[in-house]
Amino acid sequence: MLERVLGLFSVVVGVVMLTFALIHMIPGDPVDVMLGESATLADRDALRSQLGLNQSLTTQFVQYIQLLSQGELGQSLSNHRPIAALILQTYPATLQLACVALGIGLMIGVPLGVLAALYARQWPDVVIMLLSVRIAAMPAFWLGPVLMLVFAVWLGWLPVSGMTQSASIVLPALTLGLGLSAILTRMTRTSVLEVFSEDYMRTARAKGLSQWQCVLTHALPAALLPLITVVGLQMGSLLAGAVITETIFSWNGIGKLLVESIEKRDYPLTQACVLVIAISYVMVNQMTDVLYRVIDPRTRGGA
Amino acid sequence: MMVALTACHTQAPEVLTFAVAQAPINLDPRFASDAASERVNRLIYQRLVEFDQASRPTPGLADWHMLTPQHVRIHLKAAPRDFHDGQPLTMHDVKATYQSIIDAVDSPHHSEFSHIARMEVLDAHTLDVHLNRPDPDFAARLIIGILPARRIAAGHDFSHHPLGNGAFRFKAWQQVLVLERIQDGLTVQWLEVKDPNVRVLKLKRGEVDLLQGDLPPELVHYLEAQSEVAVRTTEGANYSYLGLNTQAPFLKDPRVRRAIAHAIDTRSITSQLMVRHSRPATAILPPEHYAGNPQLSPYAYQPALAKQLLKEAGVALPLRIIYKTSTDAQRVRLATVLQAQMLQAGIDLQIKSLDWGTFYADVQSGNFQLYGLTWVGIQTPEIYSKVFGAQQTPPQGLNRGGYQDAVLEPLLAAHDWPAVTERIHTQLPYIPLWYEGQFAAFGKRVQQYLPAADGNWDGLIQVKWVHDHA
Repeated sequence: MLERVLGLFSVVVGVVMLTFALIHMIPGDPVDVMLGESATLADRDALRSQLGLNQSLTTQFVQYIQLLSQGELGQSLSNHRPIAALILQTYPATLQLACVALGIGLMIGVPLGVLAALYARQWPDVVIMLLSVRIAAMPAFWLGPVLMLVFAVWLGWLPVSGMTQSASIVLPALTLGLGLSAILTRMTRTSVLEVFSEDYMRTARAKGLSQWQCVLTHALPAALLPLITVVGLQMGSLLAGAVITETIFSWNGIGKLLVESIEKRDYPLTQACVLVIAISYVMVNQMTDVLYRVIDPRTRGGA
Repeated sequence: MMVALTACHTQAPEVLTFAVAQAPINLDPRFASDAASERVNRLIYQRLVEFDQASRPTPGLADWHMLTPQHVRIHLKAAPRDFHDGQPLTMHDVKATYQSIIDAVDSPHHSEFSHIARMEVLDAHTLDVHLNRPDPDFAARLIIGILPARRIAAGHDFSHHPLGNGAFRFKAWQQVLVLERIQDGLTVQWLEVKDPNVRVLKLKRGEVDLLQGDLPPELVHYLEAQSEVAVRTTEGANYSYLGLNTQAPFLKDPRVRRAIAHAIDTRSITSQLMVRHSRPATAILPPEHYAGNPQLSPYAYQPALAKQLLKEAGVALPLRIIYKTSTDAQRVRLATVLQAQMLQAGIDLQIKSLDWGTFYADVQSGNFQLYGLTWVGIQTPEIYSKVFGAQQTPPQGLNRGGYQDAVLEPLLAAHDWPAVTERIHTQLPYIPLWYEGQFAAFGKRVQQYLPAADGNWDGLIQVKWVHDHA
């Protein structure tokens, strides 16, 4: 356990340092964004000094770490709001979108993968695999507007974008979930096919179990392990903020907040967003590891 | 499930929804620096001075008299509208507003008022302002919204809870900003929708009622073909240009700059690739501005002449120039058009598309050969001194191309704007491109909305809203 916590801590410290260095290395200045064109050099210098941006990077980093150690994320440079409040406002939206998208991905991907495995190298398999390749190849910036056009404008079933109605989540979640389902379909198919060739599957069939019974009671649980790996990685990506999908659908998530903070060179906000995303990623990976141990007794032996 | 979801949102809201590419950030007029915030602030607050059709300063809340070159007397007009909290607006509020800008180092307007020596309230309607130095353009600076003095003293958060005496009062600002028109209670909400395609789909679907600007021309043409949407265009005043590094060896020669101007077919671009009412530009301030110059003609597209000018200047062809622009899709598209046109004139334009922060930092520091940008909302001719004055090179000023012209300096000092614009037009420290037409698109419930030449949203003050009685 201690090892895990230390691992988490080292990843977070590394991310904090790297983000701090990178955001300060790229050209651009928050003072320019705040003061616009008309400010004089003296005004710029005065504001830079007020914000502490004239100090050395080392000093700024130490101050930032001190702030973090007190549990403070600071204030946004661009809108002067507490960063913690901005994160608390956006992160639940990202979490909600990620969970619904993952649900859609699993609901579509796993059954289709099993079906493809059952009919391997027959026409249902070919159709499912062709479809999954096509869907996986569709970028969100294209698939999103197409779904809007079909389900919102032509059919009038759902709102185009936004977060004001409960149905607003369907299209962004579908955009993310369809892409995810394509990957899960392929992964499920491969895993189930591998399990099919195992001796215990032959035994199960010999006992007179139907094909579906074999799949549900024996093949699928055994094929879960690689699936969980993929789901864990995908969930991490989704929690990192599906920037394009969030932007297209005006979904006020953490990905959108991060991109906007980079555009405005809002250093403390960018750092806070990356920190939260990094922690999410690490936490999801830890949870995936725990899930491994629950599902597969063979992985319980080590540390 | 879909049927149930449909039922959730069939009720049309009795709110005018305005979809914008960028939501306002700061509703304190002393600190706002982005276009959206400034446009919303024009609705919430009133200003001492406005601009007329020719961009001359005219009385807004107040009239003014220059008693001496360094002494201005400002008279509040009779019975200005009270602040939205019911308190009357007096010169104490005006003084407090400007004093707080002078005291705030993080205000983008701080430097514009740093020459105020002192202000003296003579009575509730009269304020004397004493300046450290003469400033003939002082009245044109008095365009900051007035805030109530008592709230300033109390440290009120105007950025997120604005309080002025304008045509709209603040209602709420959570996910979206909501204002209410004083005159009739019409509620207007601003919805940030970053993707232009989505803004168009939302308008077509009836989820938003109004769009203004920030759409590629093909989407504007698409909207014009939709029966449920009305599109209105008007001439714009925002000046797009190519900035040149006049210190680069091959760009020092005015013949090379003229060759670049003759290598761009602005007429074709404005008529074929831009929204209606776009027009080729000749100077930063358009011809209808009081300091504009209607005598100037745009450079004609003459690739053969451009080639000849380059040869006369001793340039080996093809002339390779690096052109920096942002990643904005329309900007990149126009860059490729410029590239194709210039190729005919023997100019090999290398496009370098950079993220906004990097691009703007390069422009500010003079790290470019050629770049494309737009001046937005420029009202006063002092812009010519700021961008072409010999003393205005970065980091002090905006002369980013390092332009030095001994002939221009006395003309700038004399405020001889026809001569200034003519000199700039012949020497071309900027290559003028166009004034892009302004447009607004709106659904059937919106009537009589007029887009403004500088893209402001003042049309909301007069817009008519047809209530949905269905």
